[in-house]
Amino acid sequence: MSDIVVQTRDLTKAFGSFVALDGLNIQLKQGHILGFIGPNGAGKTTCIKILVGLSRPTRGSATISGVDCTKDARKIKQLVGYMPDTFGSYDNMRVQEYLDFFGAAYKIPRKNRLKRIDEVLETTGSTYMRDRYVEALSHGMKQRIGIARTLLHDPRVLILDEPANGLDPAARVEMRQILLRLAEMGKTLIVTSHILPELSRICDTVAIITKGKLRAFGSLEQIMRNIRQRRLMELQLLSTADLDKAVGLLRTNLEKDAEIVVARQEATVRISTDADDQTLAELLGFLINSGLAVAQFREVQQDLEDAFLMVTGNDSPATDAPAKPAPRR
Amino acid sequence: MMNPIFQRELVGLLRTRKAYAIQAILIGVLTAFVVIRWPDNARADFGGEQAQAVLRLFGYSLLAGLILICPVFPAAAIVREKQDGTLALLIHSPLTPWDIFIGKLFGAAGFAMLLLVLSLPAATACYVMGGVAFVHQILAVYLILLLVALQYATLALCISARTATAVSALRLTYGAILLLAIVPLGPKQFTQGFNDPMVGQVVNTLACVSPIPAMMDVLGQGGIGSQGLINTGPVLQRYSIFAGISILMFTLLTLVKLNARIFDRNRPAGKVTDERSGTVRAYRRIMYLWFFDPQRRSGLIRGWMNPVMIKEFRTQQFGRSHWMMRIFGVCLLLSMGLMLATTRGTLNWGVDTLGGVIVILQTALLVLVAPSLASGVISGERESGGWTLLQMTPLSTFTIVSGKLLSAARTLLLLLLATLPAYGVMLAISPDQAPRILQVLITLILLAVLSLMVSAATSSVFRRSAPATAVSYGILVALCGGTMLFWMGRDAPFPRGLVEQALRLNPLATALSLINTPSFREYSLAPANWYVMGAGIVLSTVVLSVQTWRLARPQ
Repeated sequence: MSDIVVQTRDLTKAFGSFVALDGLNIQLKQGHILGFIGPNGAGKTTCIKILVGLSRPTRGSATISGVDCTKDARKIKQLVGYMPDTFGSYDNMRVQEYLDFFGAAYKIPRKNRLKRIDEVLETTGSTYMRDRYVEALSHGMKQRIGIARTLLHDPRVLILDEPANGLDPAARVEMRQILLRLAEMGKTLIVTSHILPELSRICDTVAIITKGKLRAFGSLEQIMRNIRQRRLMELQLLSTADLDKAVGLLRTNLEKDAEIVVARQEATVRISTDADDQTLAELLGFLINSGLAVAQFREVQQDLEDAFLMVTGNDSPATDAPAKPAPRR
Repeated sequence: MMNPIFQRELVGLLRTRKAYAIQAILIGVLTAFVVIRWPDNARADFGGEQAQAVLRLFGYSLLAGLILICPVFPAAAIVREKQDGTLALLIHSPLTPWDIFIGKLFGAAGFAMLLLVLSLPAATACYVMGGVAFVHQILAVYLILLLVALQYATLALCISARTATAVSALRLTYGAILLLAIVPLGPKQFTQGFNDPMVGQVVNTLACVSPIPAMMDVLGQGGIGSQGLINTGPVLQRYSIFAGISILMFTLLTLVKLNARIFDRNRPAGKVTDERSGTVRAYRRIMYLWFFDPQRRSGLIRGWMNPVMIKEFRTQQFGRSHWMMRIFGVCLLLSMGLMLATTRGTLNWGVDTLGGVIVILQTALLVLVAPSLASGVISGERESGGWTLLQMTPLSTFTIVSGKLLSAARTLLLLLLATLPAYGVMLAISPDQAPRILQVLITLILLAVLSLMVSAATSSVFRRSAPATAVSYGILVALCGGTMLFWMGRDAPFPRGLVEQALRLNPLATALSLINTPSFREYSLAPANWYVMGAGIVLSTVVLSVQTWRLARPQ
């Protein structure tokens, strides 16, 4: 049996002439965490709504554990735990009553329900909140109770919309640990977030979506490899006086289309090149032998944020991403 | 420089379609009044009967409109800012509490003032028709309307500064307005025929708390419905003094709240009796009879129960058992008190009068409570994001909606039951009243169902609970109170037939006529009113069903 849990094929959703989602194809294996990223209005929530059965695609299909998301909403509700970006709290209700209500709504037998509530509270580290009123919880506490709620019926797939939104650093670390624990338990997670460094720490797979189109899909390493064929190197000198000499030597020793950018105040030269490790090692030796006082020569590591900016940077300014790629140090 | 809050509130309001609709409807209705009664023989009517008739209608309509519309905007004005987090920004800005208050007050009351300005051409037409005094009638009518707008707007702001949600602010504001505008008229209406001058003085003074006697006095209609007691003393002056004092008081009470302390609220600690010491546990279990302890850890929802219904009981302010018992107890005590007073001869009331009081009490409770329970059933879920969560559960839409309706119906049923003993006394005094009482009960049950379904249907149309609640109150108050305008203008300008037709829409009037209340007994309103209510229930059910189906289906 295939271990693919979530699969979409040519998933398309149009509202009149506006195409919110355009031929999305993704696959996700059991126990994996998919980071679903894109600027506001990119189509993430539309895709999520189709996956949880709240919206119907115009074309294509989406399945979870082989069950069609559009045709068998009843089964999908049992297979998926969904946490929207709004908490959906009820006033005058204690946490246990809140979970009891959703437990009863998911038809968890009464004799098992209390045990299940204990389990989900423990999994999310929220046992101490049991008797508190839901409306009196802090944002971070509510997010944890939200995850506890999605776990109540023991779904195979968890879809969490912005779970780390508005959390302080400590709460974010806790949230990350909870999500990793859930993946270890065999749950498949789809997580959307704007906090990209957080996602890059937990996600096995990343899907970058803009204007309804899937721009990149795969592991972060794969995506980086696909997006940027060239390596970004940084040469830092002890003195700015040698900068012009360094640039001259680099131009003569690297391929013709290598991009060289000088940051004079930092006494640094950034080089975008196709050169392999051997060539770069020889280049470093040559620079030192030529009398340059080299403080550092290193490859700039790129992360999810860079990938996101590179992918979304080619879009029109209608998106909220910057117009041009801006690799970070 | 113009107050920025005033500018934002009023301009924002005037841009909305509903503001445009209200203005257009008002102008249309007032023009129709004048056109219908305009002399057709090209001669001024110096006797002024036609102009007086139009002015009466005009004054009462504007008063009813202000009572209905005025609280809607200020009741949500401060609490909405608090919920959205923008009140903190306003308080942190260089604006003083007075600036904020004045901006909010005139932003909301400004719209009412605009409506009054729009009515000026109709008032002028009344004057031109002849026979209407400019100072003692037209100016006096506008003075009362102005005071009403300011009084109820300041009241709504005062409540808005003290509540946590827009819905509870609206609910409390309409309750308070009912208390100020209608309840003070009760003693006067039901002490007709008393010879004690002291009682007459007290009830007359009490009635002046409401703007209605002042308006009636100005329009030359004396006592309520021109029946019974004759007003003694300067009614308009008394109301003006009371309104002035209350405006000042509500203003001060609001200003006191408009500072950083408005955010100083402790989060509930979440204590439960089960986790406390043995002594405390024993004490609370005895004092609250265990079941009614608000800090008791609730049991799990049973398999056969509708979980949405139980959730509603737990989340509604008055849905918890201890609150229900308190409300039940108050209604029971009120009902028993009335019975006792009647049977011991303290009050010289006949069965008809007692029945009238009970009917008014029950109708007021139903109209006040039903929208607060049911107008958030769907809009509240959509507003809080709970609707999506409910859709993600295996619960069917029918289970969700029926659970919500059942929870509201239980509360309404308890309220009706608590006031029933008075009918028992009536039956004991006069056993031949049984068929009438049965008919009254049918009317009240239909009214309860209608109130519930209208509120639920309204709730399914709006995204937010506050406008849904306001519209529900508007519909029900217009039905039970608005049609009374025709009754107040009976004989002049409205003929008996038209009054009867209008009252056939009114469940309160129907119940009062069935119970033989003076001034209503001559109308034959049932079963026509039952059919009207039945049609209203069917229509509301259709709207609710279509809307919930629309909201529940995948996009």
